[in-house]
Amino acid sequence: MIKRRIVITGMGAVSPYGVGVAPLWQGLREGRSAIAPLRHPEAARVRMKVAAQLPEDVDLAALMSESMLPLLDRCSQFVVAASNEAVRQCGLDVRAEGDRIGAIIGTGIGGVTSHDEQSKRLYGEGAERMHPLTIVRTMANAPASHVSMTHGLRGPVFTVSSACASANHAVAQALAAIRSGAADVMLTGGTEACLTFGLLKAWDAMRVIADDTCRPFSANRRGLVLGEGAAVFVLEEMEHAKARGATILAELAGAGMSADAGDIVAPSAEGAALSITRALQDAELEAADIGYINAHGTGTLANDATETRAIRLALGTHAQGIPVTSTKSMHGHALGAAGALELAAMVSALNDQFVPPTANFEQADPACDLDIVPNTGRPAKIRAALSNSFAFGGLNAVLAVGQA
Amino acid sequence: MSDTPDEKAIFEEIASQIAAKAKIDLATIQPESTLKDIGVSSLDAIELLFDIEEHYGITFPDQGPNFGSDTVQQLVDVVKDALAAKAQG
Repeated sequence: MIKRRIVITGMGAVSPYGVGVAPLWQGLREGRSAIAPLRHPEAARVRMKVAAQLPEDVDLAALMSESMLPLLDRCSQFVVAASNEAVRQCGLDVRAEGDRIGAIIGTGIGGVTSHDEQSKRLYGEGAERMHPLTIVRTMANAPASHVSMTHGLRGPVFTVSSACASANHAVAQALAAIRSGAADVMLTGGTEACLTFGLLKAWDAMRVIADDTCRPFSANRRGLVLGEGAAVFVLEEMEHAKARGATILAELAGAGMSADAGDIVAPSAEGAALSITRALQDAELEAADIGYINAHGTGTLANDATETRAIRLALGTHAQGIPVTSTKSMHGHALGAAGALELAAMVSALNDQFVPPTANFEQADPACDLDIVPNTGRPAKIRAALSNSFAFGGLNAVLAVGQA
Repeated sequence: MSDTPDEKAIFEEIASQIAAKAKIDLATIQPESTLKDIGVSSLDAIELLFDIEEHYGITFPDQGPNFGSDTVQQLVDVVKDALAAKAQG
């Protein structure tokens, strides 16, 4: 059977740079980090000092319909806003074709803001009752359901959760849904709004958070910096897109998935390499075709060295010639949305033929000896690119894109 | 202060927690042993830190010692310092 080819015809984002893919890409292109001192009512009670948060002046409520707003956890607000931009850009009347369109959204944690608020009332303040919409705000499938309800999508709709790889796994599933014929068009991506007091404390306790900033691949890296946001893509079967004269942003050429079946937190180079190799195979690409890799690049000691080995294992001698950058150095680690923000970066890089840098780089690390494009981006010839996501739990998902 | 545990008591407490965590004979844990040598995984190590913090009612410094490579004695020293800081208020 000939594989159906899948293209990206729309994208939208909500990120620490504000609403829209344009401000996100402009920031990343310029190497401008959105990591800033943590803004939180309980900031004095957490160790974490910095985060990549949505700008204070972004009023998401203004972007939503008033009737919908009470139903939406912050993570659902993000994804609905991002989906509106993606649908506008694709130019397709998705409601009219809703029977053949679905939505698969990744989230690491789902409606934790609502959960935290209500838990505080119940356990902390001794409240007698929970807000009646707590369940529908908190449930992990809410972001996918709201994308479906907002745009009238009646195809396959569900949430995918695999911690930091959630968005990449979601995109991989959406790709599979179109290839299988279950849908012609899919909205997909990831969302996360994880900066609750409870989760900040939980991350503190894991001792993997940097207190200065995120410095991927730098010898003096001290851990990850949390972020938040969402990005959504319109995936479309190529002939469907061509038939309606759509502007094609990129081809989603393939996806590769694997599991380490090892440690719950310590990453495995072999497991990660397997997902990279499978992404290349699925996309029918060779290592030599790859002109850019958007790394998982969390800035933890373990990830960056292990990811370097994984890239070398999977790409062999070609690894040395490929720019590999971590945009988490700028937009932070948005967990279940990370892969989606990074796919937006990768598609933009492909269209601009420009590699965004790894920001905050200070000291070379022999264990991370790839071309990591420190601090300043640069033009590059990119025909195809990869984006890595490797999650706690040993779950790996890699996306491959090619020029339209 | 008489109710502040001395270094020997801290060592014994930490060693017994490590022995329980790593399921090894208490007698094999020496001050110069590293957690890694003893076979404490990184995940067990952060749990161990949590247990020690809870036990003594202290908070380790932000960029504390590297518990993968540092020795049991270094852990004892960090606890001693944290207890001293706590005693001073």
